[in-house]
Amino acid sequence: MSPEVLIGMLAELERIRELTLDLVEQQAPRLVPAPPDEAGGTEQTVFDLLLGARRAVLGNPAAARGLHDLLVAEGHRYANTPRGARLRDGLVASEAVENLRRVWEMVSLNVLDGPAAPNAAPDAWADLLADAVIGHGLDDSILARLRPEGFA
Amino acid sequence: MTLTDPREALADQSDFIGYLVGLAGVARMVHTLAADGDRRAEGPRDADDFVHVLLGLASIGAAIERFANSAMAQQNPTAETPTPAAPITRWLR
Repeated sequence: MSPEVLIGMLAELERIRELTLDLVEQQAPRLVPAPPDEAGGTEQTVFDLLLGARRAVLGNPAAARGLHDLLVAEGHRYANTPRGARLRDGLVASEAVENLRRVWEMVSLNVLDGPAAPNAAPDAWADLLADAVIGHGLDDSILARLRPEGFA
Repeated sequence: MTLTDPREALADQSDFIGYLVGLAGVARMVHTLAADGDRRAEGPRDADDFVHVLLGLASIGAAIERFANSAMAQQNPTAETPTPAAPITRWLR
């Protein structure tokens, strides 16, 4: 197979991946919340930014996990320096970081955490999509009665 | 345009410097978060992956600012004796 054919195949796979992601979002509308009503310019921009971040993570889980691991490793290295340690101490005590953490967890749905095979999508990503797609259409009001209090 | 058909001055159209400036801006935001006046009511928490991601971004931003500062320091001594402007041609390869 010639390099040109291989590159063409890669481009086609990328197109199929994007279309598949569109289908997943159609099957699981909860992953794509409706835009805010009467949103002003800034609010709409922030909404689009957060939605874009979610799609980037959900659509490229292995790459996102790789970048995440890279940054975590660099963070650990930096925390071992005096400047990094001071910054770490400031971050862990900051209420603003807590707020940012809530935003990130809401956007990423925590799919980058937990176990993952090297260079592969994290397990949490597959679990989330399976829940979002398979759970769609089930009558949640009935299921909710079967769910013990505090059970996710 | 492909890698085997480079165009003149393609690098001038690159957003690479924009990426670096953006990362440096994010790193400064991390410092702003750490300096936030509102402290957690429950006291400091353990540094988890989220905190280390922020630290990683701050570290990259610090490295970028070091590059920029050292480049400016190297340029300053020659600033008093400017050389005639020569056309700079940059190529992808």
